[in-house]
Amino acid sequence: MASSPLIDRPAGAALFHTQDGPVDAGRFLADAAEIAGRLPAGDYILNVCRDRYRFATTLAAGLLAGRVSLLCGDPSASVVAGLVERFAGTAVVGDGEAEGAPGGAVPAMPQIAGDRLVAIVFTSGSTGAPVAHPKHWAALVARSRAAGERFGLFETEPASIVGTVPPGHMYGLETTVLLPFHAACAAWCGPAFFAADVQSALEAVPKPRVLVTTPLQLRNLATLTPPPLQAIISATAPLDTALAGAVEARWSSPVFEIFGATECGSVATRRTAETESWLPYEGVSLHEGAAGPFVRAAFAADTPLADAVELAADGSFRLLGRRTDLVKMGGRRASLAGLNEILTGLEGVRDGVFVVPDDLDRRSTARLVAVVVAPGRTVAGLLADLRERIDPVFLPRRLIQVEALPRNSLGKLPREALLDLLRTRDAA
Amino acid sequence: MTSTPTLLTQTSAEQQLAALIVASLQLEVAAEDIAPEERLFGEGLGLDSIDALELALAISTNYGFELRSDDERNKRIFASLRSLSSHVEEHRTR
Repeated sequence: MASSPLIDRPAGAALFHTQDGPVDAGRFLADAAEIAGRLPAGDYILNVCRDRYRFATTLAAGLLAGRVSLLCGDPSASVVAGLVERFAGTAVVGDGEAEGAPGGAVPAMPQIAGDRLVAIVFTSGSTGAPVAHPKHWAALVARSRAAGERFGLFETEPASIVGTVPPGHMYGLETTVLLPFHAACAAWCGPAFFAADVQSALEAVPKPRVLVTTPLQLRNLATLTPPPLQAIISATAPLDTALAGAVEARWSSPVFEIFGATECGSVATRRTAETESWLPYEGVSLHEGAAGPFVRAAFAADTPLADAVELAADGSFRLLGRRTDLVKMGGRRASLAGLNEILTGLEGVRDGVFVVPDDLDRRSTARLVAVVVAPGRTVAGLLADLRERIDPVFLPRRLIQVEALPRNSLGKLPREALLDLLRTRDAA
Repeated sequence: MTSTPTLLTQTSAEQQLAALIVASLQLEVAAEDIAPEERLFGEGLGLDSIDALELALAISTNYGFELRSDDERNKRIFASLRSLSSHVEEHRTR
């Protein structure tokens, strides 16, 4: 398979905007080479940098040194320990390790083979062990180029990307770390978490500016008065059409959504306020299979979709709602069946179920609720047990103890009966 | 409650902030039950990063100043009701 350069940008073009100023490909490669030169022997790098620039140089160090990068959106201590044990020869690189001496020699631009496994991105599996999603170089490059075209990024006036999403999450990786390697943009690497950070970041970077965020954060950011934006991009959960329209009106900028999955990365985009219909990226297509719809993209395995879709003749599609039991929160996914299994497996739990509120995607304070039959156990004790076993965003904010779940005569739990139970509790 | 050491009772500033936390995050606990030194994130109250954003918004609306992540002390500030409250009292503009 053909190889392609690690970075394909004009000489001198900025790849990243750090708080110390813009960084071009030469200095970036020199910084990456400096990290690569200090790596201990082994095959893997577990990149736990929180600083976006250090994350990017550590990723590039892996590409230079022939290592596979292990990436996860929110690397907790237990996840890190588990991955180090699972992948022998893993060097853990965090912000401290990635901070090196500047001003080293600029290496020649490396050519990376298209079929090379360059990264494994992990999602927090609901059953404990993180699930591995292999990423090959050609697939990542193809998606960056397609996104550059879709969002109108041109070298005549490269865009500045301000992203509020972590670099190790697939969405953040694609839009704020990899995109500058192959599309006309530079990513902001300073703080961009709280609303005040985002305002300062947008003021600090040159125009045209693109804000990359999530529906939950956009709701908070909507009160800002940022400088003019070329585009706002949202992903990880469905964006409310009304919110998209309100932001467009307030900021006079188009709001786009990306539809994707960690398995296959970004799949399609749409301008939410204008259409329900998603347009796949160049090189990506959707198909209806025997087991449901799936995504086909070059250099990647076919990926089954968690949503039902309606395919149009022109290749575009509409999403018709979740067809599996996957629940997404804060950019992380879990299977409800898996969560229920963990809950009912806890000591002293006779029966139990997680309930997804109807407005989970629309209300940032919405969290899962759990209803449990566990005589002799306390809410605090059950939560402590769950905290050891599931990702924090999936912890039930309300854990309700009952004498019995409202199972029907077939042993099933009608959703309406569960919601009734919650409403009764609210009224009490 | 006379036997409770003062360290474990909320000051009036902490009471106000606790009420704001419970209201803005729609928590199940009663504001007065948040122990001042209890951890807010992870264990203790069990807040997460989405809550941090929501809380920052509520603080800026109610106390008139913005939380920033370039503040090196953020971890310490968000550690407990007590630490957050003392940061709020130091920086509030209303």
